[in-house]
Amino acid sequence: MQSFQFYSPNYLEDALKYIADRKQTCRTLAGGTDLIPMLKKEEIRPDYLLNINEVGELKGVEDLDNQVRIGATTTFTEMIESETLNRFFPLLVNAAASVGGPQIRNRGTIGGNVITNGPCADVLPGIVALDGQLELQSKQDGRRLVSVADVLVTAYETSIRSDELLTGILIQKPVQGTKSGFEKLGRRNAMAKARLNLSIALRQDPNGTISAVSIVPGAVMPVAVRMNDVESMLLGRKPTPVLIQAAADKLVEVVVNTAGIRWSSEYKVPVLKNIFKRVMWRVLAEDPQ
Amino acid sequence: MTETIGKTKLTFTVNGRETEVLVDPSWTLLRVLRESLGLTGTKRGCEEGDCGLCTVIMEDRAVDSCLVMALQAQGKTVETIEGMGHEHALHPLQKAFIEEGAVQCGFCTPGMIMSSEALLRQNTHPTVEEIKVGLSGNLCRCTGYTKIFKAVAKGSESGGRL
Repeated sequence: MQSFQFYSPNYLEDALKYIADRKQTCRTLAGGTDLIPMLKKEEIRPDYLLNINEVGELKGVEDLDNQVRIGATTTFTEMIESETLNRFFPLLVNAAASVGGPQIRNRGTIGGNVITNGPCADVLPGIVALDGQLELQSKQDGRRLVSVADVLVTAYETSIRSDELLTGILIQKPVQGTKSGFEKLGRRNAMAKARLNLSIALRQDPNGTISAVSIVPGAVMPVAVRMNDVESMLLGRKPTPVLIQAAADKLVEVVVNTAGIRWSSEYKVPVLKNIFKRVMWRVLAEDPQ
Repeated sequence: MTETIGKTKLTFTVNGRETEVLVDPSWTLLRVLRESLGLTGTKRGCEEGDCGLCTVIMEDRAVDSCLVMALQAQGKTVETIEGMGHEHALHPLQKAFIEEGAVQCGFCTPGMIMSSEALLRQNTHPTVEEIKVGLSGNLCRCTGYTKIFKAVAKGSESGGRL
């Protein structure tokens, strides 16, 4: 590994100043589960490494009035153990629990999952499904909020500027009655990168009509994105086996049209359909929060 | 902390002992443990967080030491297999691994024991399913895991600690 200068500030202000002065020559190190292998393979050769794990302002889950803030360096383990997340966003807890093994969950962070923007990310699709906002901070512009969906350019690429730091993820607390589900399929039982995952959040009227729905498949699209065409099929209608089957067909149609037919499609198409139907029915059968 | 250029001093607690060592910023915790401190019980495997051979306990949590930069351990507490027990006073998990025959070639064993110990600190009486999840970041290519799971269950009856 090519050497670099290492900086580990305790305060956000110092971190922002550091990247403002160095921009592209500097990389930010959080959990390191993606970045450290890249450094070893010399796929990246930064001159400066900024360790943000000691910055207190970036750590932990905060229950704000009508939203929840998850600090960027909150680990997957900390997410799983957060009472606030278990209460408001079980979808994110389940997604975090599906990441790697314990060692990876103890180091890997929610901010890293967003910034890396890997197609196989487990938590990022859940954040997209919940319309999460990113809190970005820079020395030059201070704090700005952007919708997570707006910064995901393509696989492994975001539009976040090199002088900006992702400091937190903000998610509106769910409207009463919201239900959600997550399922992941990996190559190795409890470990491994997702070959496919699915995040769903929805609400139903008292008469059963679907009044809000958000569907985000992971690992089958270049970036995590809501399936608007599928969602609009379901909105305002009562779930029936025919409707859910049609939605499953539409989902794979959108995925295949966007991502193209690939060697794995033969496997992924029927599996995605089945997982979609299973998660939908499970979520529909659940009691609302 | 100020920016560090070239070799710099890492001060951390290793197996209960305050330790100071000069490290290059590009070194991993694994490299420092093995090469600077001679703690070769921690094994080097895939170097990318898949195999769990290099598992140590940092701040009470199992981590892959190949995925921690040495300077990220600044001021932290790190425990390795060398801190678990020794020939004449085995840790209950070490004893259980031997008694259950959960060791074949032995290369994965230090990582397995560190992951087991971290699990048992969170959960003193894990179910087999919980043990499987707790060890899901550790690969063994010899035994087929059954004896390892049994050994962890056995080690847990005593709380997993001396």
